[in-house]
Amino acid sequence: MSYDDVEIEDMEWNEELKSYTYPCPCGDLFQITKEELKIGEEIARCPSCSLYITVIYNMEDFTDQKPKTNVEPPKQQPVAVA
Amino acid sequence: MEANERVKETEEKQEVWSWGAGTEGQLGTEKLQDEHIPQLLPLLPSISRLSCGGAHVIALTYGKKVLTWGRGASGQLGHGNMVNSLEPKSVQVLSNFNITHVSAGWNHSGFVSECGQVFTCGDGSFGQLGLGDYVSQSSPIKVSHFASRHVYQIACGMRHSLALLKGEHGDQVYGFGSGKRGQLGISKEKVKAVSLPQSVSGLQEVNVSSISANGDHSAALSSEGNLYTWGRGFGGAPDVCCPDRVISRFSFKQAALGWNHVLGLTDEGDVLMLGGSHHGVLNNPQKDVLVNQDLTEEQVKKIPGLNKIKVVGIASGSEHSVLITENGEVMTWGWGEHGQLGLGDTCDHTCPQLVNIAQNAEHQYITSSKVYCGSGFTFVVRACRPKQT
Repeated sequence: MSYDDVEIEDMEWNEELKSYTYPCPCGDLFQITKEELKIGEEIARCPSCSLYITVIYNMEDFTDQKPKTNVEPPKQQPVAVA
Repeated sequence: MEANERVKETEEKQEVWSWGAGTEGQLGTEKLQDEHIPQLLPLLPSISRLSCGGAHVIALTYGKKVLTWGRGASGQLGHGNMVNSLEPKSVQVLSNFNITHVSAGWNHSGFVSECGQVFTCGDGSFGQLGLGDYVSQSSPIKVSHFASRHVYQIACGMRHSLALLKGEHGDQVYGFGSGKRGQLGISKEKVKAVSLPQSVSGLQEVNVSSISANGDHSAALSSEGNLYTWGRGFGGAPDVCCPDRVISRFSFKQAALGWNHVLGLTDEGDVLMLGGSHHGVLNNPQKDVLVNQDLTEEQVKKIPGLNKIKVVGIASGSEHSVLITENGEVMTWGWGEHGQLGLGDTCDHTCPQLVNIAQNAEHQYITSSKVYCGSGFTFVVRACRPKQT
């Protein structure tokens, strides 16, 4: 059973993990890579537990043929370190 | 004075227990591993309140000082860096303030001082720090928007925050951060995100005694015992953009939000649940039917299996629930994959189960217990007194 359906625009791009992520109720993150999205994978898994979510997105936005993608990975936010 | 304190110390001892998901150091056990049974933590300063987030913990001491530990990758520990802490460390920036209320969200934190100032740190990507930008902070920053007004409480959810203000003009609740599921309650339509606090509509006539936030949910409890919720809909119901009173003939004295359910503790000591259609069946979808909501009657359902047990405290993780009975016993139910139920295994449960917390019954008895939940973990703080011989 998929834990939730999440739109790609509600997921956050994580540069370190090179994945789109979304909070998992266990405390870790559901993760899916651009490569997976490109081949039509819609399940984002959590590395720490058995749960997974279904990602809602347009596959065309991630295929190379169509460069005018409208889903830009959200930019990494700057962080102020005191 | 000092002598008095020493006497008190020998009379009453505080114990802090934790269990569940622990790979970010959130259990305070100084280990990076899950624990399936309650672990007694090394001695901590006397704690008046805990707040547990996605994978970090904020402890408020009786001396009104703040300790944090667990995941720090977004700056949520307020230590001025972005690293995890395996052990409780004080938040230096707040050492000159007397802190009276704290809240831990998914990856951000909020602190309220005695004189009504509010500070935030951690992930700010959605504006949830209320600082007018979308920047993360590794040290607590004062939310200047409230200027000299008196903030009483803060509640941090997954990507949003609420603040409760008290003053001459009555109580006011503010929301900031992500509003995609209506969790800010600031307008009739969903708003993507706001980075400055905005007033929650529909609570103007209500005396708000407490606020809470978790996941994409928000809740407020009135002094008359009414429970209001807004944000993501429960049990497949549509999202709600303005505070909506939970229809029930009961009066509530405590509310605890999860990611898909809310618990309410009634004045009579009963626990009711709204939502939670897969509470305790995440690993066993076939059982789903058993706990499906009957929305035709009241929205809320009594928790099965409690019978006549009186409950004095409740807490909710993302997908698990904890309660304290009047006898000081701890019971848990819901999702158990990380041991967050503390029952020695990783099973799910739809009915509250008794947690066995070691006790030297011959020499001490419990005078008070409080329960707290992070996303996938649980804390119990209890005071014990030696038996007179």
